[in-house]
Amino acid sequence: MEALIPAMIGAMKLALKLLLIIVPLVTIFEVLRYLPVFRRAGQAVDPLMRGMGLSRDAAVPLFTGIFLGIAYGAGIIIRVAQEKKLPRRELFLMGLFLATCHAVIEDTLVFVVIGGNAWIMLGVRLLIAIGLTALLAHLWKSRETADQHP
Amino acid sequence: MTSYATAPIPSVPERIRTGLRAGLQTTVKLLKFVLPLYVAVDLLKGSSVIELIGSWFSPLMQLFGLPGEVAFAFIAGFLLNLYAAIAIMAPLDLSPWQITQCGLMMGIAHNLLLEGGVLGSTGARGGVLTAARVLIAVLAGLTMQGLHQVWGA
Repeated sequence: MEALIPAMIGAMKLALKLLLIIVPLVTIFEVLRYLPVFRRAGQAVDPLMRGMGLSRDAAVPLFTGIFLGIAYGAGIIIRVAQEKKLPRRELFLMGLFLATCHAVIEDTLVFVVIGGNAWIMLGVRLLIAIGLTALLAHLWKSRETADQHP
Repeated sequence: MTSYATAPIPSVPERIRTGLRAGLQTTVKLLKFVLPLYVAVDLLKGSSVIELIGSWFSPLMQLFGLPGEVAFAFIAGFLLNLYAAIAIMAPLDLSPWQITQCGLMMGIAHNLLLEGGVLGSTGARGGVLTAARVLIAVLAGLTMQGLHQVWGA
């Protein structure tokens, strides 16, 4: 039974760390998400997005997903996708990017709490998502062009 | 959230209140399973059942430079979420590099059932994307372990 007390203390420590991460994070997001900068972020990364086969229309759902997560951003993703009539290719590319790379700040911090290296986790994940999406955009495009000009 | 383009923008104090409330609600929801999981794993680690099941997974987990017991965290991360995963990992005394490795792999592939559904609902193919996530996580883990052994940090 004396093993129970250190277990409870450890659990409470973890609980406190999680509380200290989640509450400020959610609050900061809530304050920042209405800033125009957040919406205009698409412009700055326009060349990078074009390299991944994504248009300006994909910027808001993409950034929502990257920062807030798929579940949270799903409403925006679905509606923008329908409103702007994103083509299937772009929808899949965005899905691929977000499947591997979303809610990056929260996900990274969760593992930092127990001792992980933030820069490796964040950097490698971003690199993989960008590289993979760009690769697939390139492959898919070349096949479509090939279909048009047989 | 649904009326992103049209809703009036709330004032900053109102946003802070919304954020604090939402953050607390999320934390309480998470702690309901993080606390029991942590206590259970801390009490059970080193027990024969955990060591037995861990030893079945150990050849697989070794490929990623991780002990067999971490398989429990991967199962929880894949089916539930990352909070369940770290509740299991925290009592296991992993090295910082092992935690980073887990964070990278589980960061790529987690909460597969729910998020697979969400990804599918956007019109992209959820099943394909989910399979891709697991594959990418495995490849990333193998690559990181390879690099780790080459550099031997």
